[in-house]
Amino acid sequence: MAEIAFRNVCKSYGATVAVKDMTFTVHDNEFFCFFGPPLSGKTTILRLILGLERPDSGEILIDGRPVNGVAPAGRNIAMVFQNLALFPHMTAEENIRFPLVERGERPDRIAARVGEVARKLRIGHILHKPPALLSGGERQRVAIARALVRDPVAYLMDDPISALDARLREEARVELKRIQREAGRTLIYVTHDQEEAMSVADRMAILEEGCLSQIGTPSEIYDRPVSASVACLLGSPVMNILPLTKEGTAAGGAIRLPPVLRPQAAAFIGIRPENLHVLQQDNDEDGSCRVTDVEPLGGTTVVTVDAGGAVLRAVLRGQPDIHIGSRVTIRVDVAHVHFFGSGGEALHQHREGLA
Amino acid sequence: MSAIRLENLVKRYGSFTALRTMDLLIEDGEFMALLGPSGCGKSTTMNMIAGMERPSEGRILFGDRDMTGVPMGRRGVGFVFQNFAIFTHMTVRQNLSYGLRMAKLPQAETERRTLAIAEFLRLTPFLDRRADGLSVNILQRVAIGRSAVMEPAIFLLDEPLSNVDAAFRAVMRAELKQLQRQFRQTMVYVTHDQLEAMTMADRIAVMDHGVLQQVGRPIEVYNDPVNIFVATFIGAPGMNLLKGRPVQTDRGLAVDLGPLGISPPLGSAQACALRAASGEVIYGFRPEQASLAPPGEGIPGSVTFEERIGARSIVHLGEGSTAFRAVFEKDVPLAMGDVAHVLPHPDAVRLFDASTGRVLKG
Amino acid sequence: MTLSDAARRPAVSSVPRPRDEGAALGFRLTLPAQILVLFIAVFPLLMQLYLSLTDWAPLTGTAWPRAWEYWNAGANYVDLLSDRRLWDALARTGLIILICVPVQFLLGLGLALLFVDDFPGKRLAYSILIMPMMVVPAVAGYMFFMLFQSGGPINGLLGSLIGRDLAIAWLSDPVLALVAVMLADIWQWTPLMFLILLAGLVGVPADQMKAAALLGASPWQRFVTIVLPRMRPIIAIALAIRVIEIFKIFDTLYIMTGGGPGSATETISVYIYEVTTQDLVWGYVAAIGLAILIVLSVIAAFAVRRLGESRA
Repeated sequence: MAEIAFRNVCKSYGATVAVKDMTFTVHDNEFFCFFGPPLSGKTTILRLILGLERPDSGEILIDGRPVNGVAPAGRNIAMVFQNLALFPHMTAEENIRFPLVERGERPDRIAARVGEVARKLRIGHILHKPPALLSGGERQRVAIARALVRDPVAYLMDDPISALDARLREEARVELKRIQREAGRTLIYVTHDQEEAMSVADRMAILEEGCLSQIGTPSEIYDRPVSASVACLLGSPVMNILPLTKEGTAAGGAIRLPPVLRPQAAAFIGIRPENLHVLQQDNDEDGSCRVTDVEPLGGTTVVTVDAGGAVLRAVLRGQPDIHIGSRVTIRVDVAHVHFFGSGGEALHQHREGLA
Repeated sequence: MSAIRLENLVKRYGSFTALRTMDLLIEDGEFMALLGPSGCGKSTTMNMIAGMERPSEGRILFGDRDMTGVPMGRRGVGFVFQNFAIFTHMTVRQNLSYGLRMAKLPQAETERRTLAIAEFLRLTPFLDRRADGLSVNILQRVAIGRSAVMEPAIFLLDEPLSNVDAAFRAVMRAELKQLQRQFRQTMVYVTHDQLEAMTMADRIAVMDHGVLQQVGRPIEVYNDPVNIFVATFIGAPGMNLLKGRPVQTDRGLAVDLGPLGISPPLGSAQACALRAASGEVIYGFRPEQASLAPPGEGIPGSVTFEERIGARSIVHLGEGSTAFRAVFEKDVPLAMGDVAHVLPHPDAVRLFDASTGRVLKG
Repeated sequence: MTLSDAARRPAVSSVPRPRDEGAALGFRLTLPAQILVLFIAVFPLLMQLYLSLTDWAPLTGTAWPRAWEYWNAGANYVDLLSDRRLWDALARTGLIILICVPVQFLLGLGLALLFVDDFPGKRLAYSILIMPMMVVPAVAGYMFFMLFQSGGPINGLLGSLIGRDLAIAWLSDPVLALVAVMLADIWQWTPLMFLILLAGLVGVPADQMKAAALLGASPWQRFVTIVLPRMRPIIAIALAIRVIEIFKIFDTLYIMTGGGPGSATETISVYIYEVTTQDLVWGYVAAIGLAILIVLSVIAAFAVRRLGESRA
């Protein structure tokens, strides 16, 4: 068991509220991701878990045991730093062994532990090499092995791959997820990249200005966001948010929704770009909307449409023959429309995600 | 005239060659992306265009004018640094007007142009703030504005979005495109992010190890990569590459993929290309241009990993040298360990020579 | 936001923190050492203040703690205001500062600018350049004493330049002696100015310099708009150090001229030395010392404030 829980935790720095009344539970063996824009409180949460900060109020529990008064060393939580912080003058094995040697473990215990972790992370064949001779992915594994060798309750990572090239980032995140699956253990992960968060997380928490907005699997949050702002944090291009008139039209009449299908209080609708269909008209006069930008990405094409003054983005499959200036009509499947109230709150009934 | 012509450009640092004989014509008013991994020579090329470094060999021409020996201050290019290089001891206004003041333009003119560019980049509220206290997103716009105010015919940007947070990158991409459309400068944009290059550029120059690999419109580079480097670097994820040998089947020419069995029969163009091949080939297809097929029809692979990113799901199949990926619409009924059969769209298959990595053409 | 950002933020909390307890314990443990340091720094100052209010001198036959027997209630400070020799020495010291500091600054800055970019033999030139600073001032004094003899190498060199024998009596002419003393100081201390300014110049971000060049700024414009503003705190410190140092100029000068001819090169330090060793009026000397300390403190405070301004 390794469960980390916050119960009504608050933390302020002077007048700045960094964490506001936060309650959540991270389960055993989970890849749990905190995601939010800068200054949303992600790093403060990590510091609270590590014990570098104390909550102003509320309780932090590790395996059901309150740890508010426990110093960082007593919490048995490991941190993997962004730059990995491997010692360059030691081999991979010496690096991994380091925390145990520091703790004065018996040599046979150390050897057994290092062997076990190395096997799990599949780095047995590189143990004799210094970090300089390892690839990026191998270094990552060694750093994680060093964190896991102490047998921690959980290990934390603060935006570990943001410094890499875009292509390497895509590989590194898959690698990370694999490592976590193989090695087990709870991994608490912080990132500001929505694609990375959705890719790696078993479950994720969306943070906005120190508040926990939503918690759930990436798909749950993507499909059933609790608010327009959460909806806009996930997905690229971002969700199209349009004001809805009393008559049930949006985008200057280009979108009409029958009254029975929309909640009374709906003030805004949200449409994911992949759910917006753009139909090319043979006759240029027919279309009510005009294409203002086309971005071919190969597998998909992002089309920007001016619909009655509203700017809508649509993701089309493949490489359709659409050009800037084309007249088009837009269609949307009501089942894929998100409704939001005047305060941006979601108006459908899917709120199970909020723990 | 602000076309940029690079002729036989070479740059060496001691015994290390950073750039090997580069020839490139960037048209007047074109948005050209120099794309490649770190150390591919893209920044070196850019620095030589700006005049910050001197080429070891070759010439740089703006229009018909040879600029090779012209010092950087007199080339009239706008340059946005990766770290923005904002003058932190000045206000935003002083930063924006810097070039105009150094050129000793009349005060009224300086004022007018500074305000206009500040308005365009939504910097008006920050004009009298000192630059060292501002957020990265604002600094980035100051960096662009400081060069744009000079109305340069050529605008060079060195990975300007790499320090900007992920959510803001999309906004900045749109803004840069709009800027370029409005002023019609020749824009050269250095990046390692293929998405940035694909979404913004008129044409992309893909570079690797100091060698220009391919130049073309984004969709051309995506559809018809000249070699396996370009094939894997472009696209998210990059192209799947599987080693194999030509084989004749009763349904036509195909590729024997070893442990993965025989590939689906090739289309006529690829079959033609395969006939020209000798020995091993690489069978390539895009993860996005494939669908699930019944057993026996596609390429088999056990699901090792699935990434669900919003509406897309990237499925990783197989291990080691037989690993490949497929991108599906969200709800694909696959679980870890399942064996899936993936059928590439016949038009989307590309073949490469296994020894040279070059694409095979019929 | 990174971990370190969060760490830098002031952490205000009503809950007592282990960190605070640690700080309190640390304070208690280091208290004896802190008291000792305070004592060492403050005691001489208090002693000086005490003596400056008396007519005490070592020859009075009483130990200094009983100097109150010679209490004169600030008469020393009144005398000080009308001490013609003191004011002359002060003016002379001021003149040396006004000439030497700007010259050292300009020379140091010029040299530093040369050393920003690489050139062949840079390391050697650098070593030679900072050598004078490392010469013991007394040795430098004797060196210049020899150089400026009327039959010495300086006259010889100048003579060969203009083609006839020269016998300028450098150190016995009131004006030329002052010039010689200043030349010696410039020779010895320009390197320090050079070192400090070079450190500042190297700290100017290269990308900002390139950005300015790309925006069309000439080298001079770049210097004025980027380099100087960024170097302001460093320049303030360099100037303050040199002003304070020259205010106390003594050893080299005393060996070269002994403050003469007459009192032509008598600076504050030389004057105090003379008064202390010959007139033996220690109470008065203490008063002068304190007055000068106050003047120097004002200069130092000004420099520190400029440093703070440029950070704000």
